[in-house]
Amino acid sequence: MEFRDYYQILGVGKTADADAIKKAFRKLARKYHPDVSKEPDAAARMTELNEANTVLSDPEKRAAYDRLAAGGQGHRAGKDFRPPPDWNAGNEYSGDGMSAAEAARFSEFFSSMFGDSARGDANHAGARRTRSTGEQQVRGEDHHAKVVIDLADAYTGATRAINLRAARLDESGHVVADERTLNVNIPKGLKEGQHIRLAGQGSPGFGGGPSGDLFLEISFAADARYRIDGRDVTAIMPLAPWEAALGATIEMPTPSGNVQVKVPSDSQAGRKLRLKGRGIPGETAGDLYLEISVVLPPADTEAARAIYETMAREMPFNPRDAAAAAKGV
Amino acid sequence: MNSDSIISGVLIDEATLTIVELANACSVEYTWVLQHVEDGLLARTDSSMTSAISRADAAEWRFASAALIRARRLANIERTFDANAEVAALVVDLLEEVATLKQQRFSEHRR
Repeated sequence: MEFRDYYQILGVGKTADADAIKKAFRKLARKYHPDVSKEPDAAARMTELNEANTVLSDPEKRAAYDRLAAGGQGHRAGKDFRPPPDWNAGNEYSGDGMSAAEAARFSEFFSSMFGDSARGDANHAGARRTRSTGEQQVRGEDHHAKVVIDLADAYTGATRAINLRAARLDESGHVVADERTLNVNIPKGLKEGQHIRLAGQGSPGFGGGPSGDLFLEISFAADARYRIDGRDVTAIMPLAPWEAALGATIEMPTPSGNVQVKVPSDSQAGRKLRLKGRGIPGETAGDLYLEISVVLPPADTEAARAIYETMAREMPFNPRDAAAAAKGV
Repeated sequence: MNSDSIISGVLIDEATLTIVELANACSVEYTWVLQHVEDGLLARTDSSMTSAISRADAAEWRFASAALIRARRLANIERTFDANAEVAALVVDLLEEVATLKQQRFSEHRR
């Protein structure tokens, strides 16, 4: 496994005091906060920052880390690293609110150093919640993951393979990181931000306590053709000027396949046609709104120019006047 | 686990999560959720939500997926920046507002 230089990650010197570490962590946390950051690797950097901060902000963990780093083996960031056997014996860490679920997302390096303490902390945190049922039985931590689906998947349902890194206890009772893949059924009718709960797929419990759950948050892949609001879907329906003016029956692609749409005559741009129940399915299915956009054919041939010239001559129409009349000016 | 098997979960709809489930999902104490609901920073979606908030009814409270996202963001900001609950809520309000505006700008941009 690779050695992690936590001081380098936080951009502080090895003699930095607690205040300097806190300041550096917050500054970087603001920069890489996944809700705000535009950096492509924000989520990964945030996990790295949390890991470094978890160790360096805790005097006990920091002291243990410093002892290991000063072990005379010339440990450097990214270099291969093997902890000495039983190096952690005798180190005790008090709970600091870090959970096994958090620790499981950290690096293998972290797990090998502080796996036992992560387990201890989970016991500590969990015991508070399950005091009435006895301190020994502790429910495992819940985990979270995001699943990106296409709008079409929300109409039909889908299956997604989800790669997870979770905590597991090995034979000797140490917490180790465990990679696994879950194939999950994504039912139709999901909305953006909705969650699926997979019972028992979180961290294992302790002392016979139940496993935690895995929560999957649904998010739709960006699709310039559609705007989604709950279960209602809006799509732009491009029309030729004559289709909008004269009315037409056209074939329009939608997330649930092509549909025949009857366009009324005199349809202005911006007007919406509602196809009831053709939004995202559900107990109350959403509606599909088709917003009219009139697209002009280019006047790039003699014939096309002649037609536009005829229209200009034959149709006394000034869109500025029409806009003013519509506004009641 | 056999990676070929397909598992199905429970959909978190409008009023699904209990207060304990929400607390577990956010790695916070039960009382953290109580306090945030009482302070109006977190909304519940159960049928009795029109009645006054009373701790005695907390077992009956239910929360939707949106509350789960909001609660996790609140907890994360409070933890990362040692922020007080109101300031964290203000940040999350702004994040939600930005998301709404982005969605609107996206749809207007296409016209």
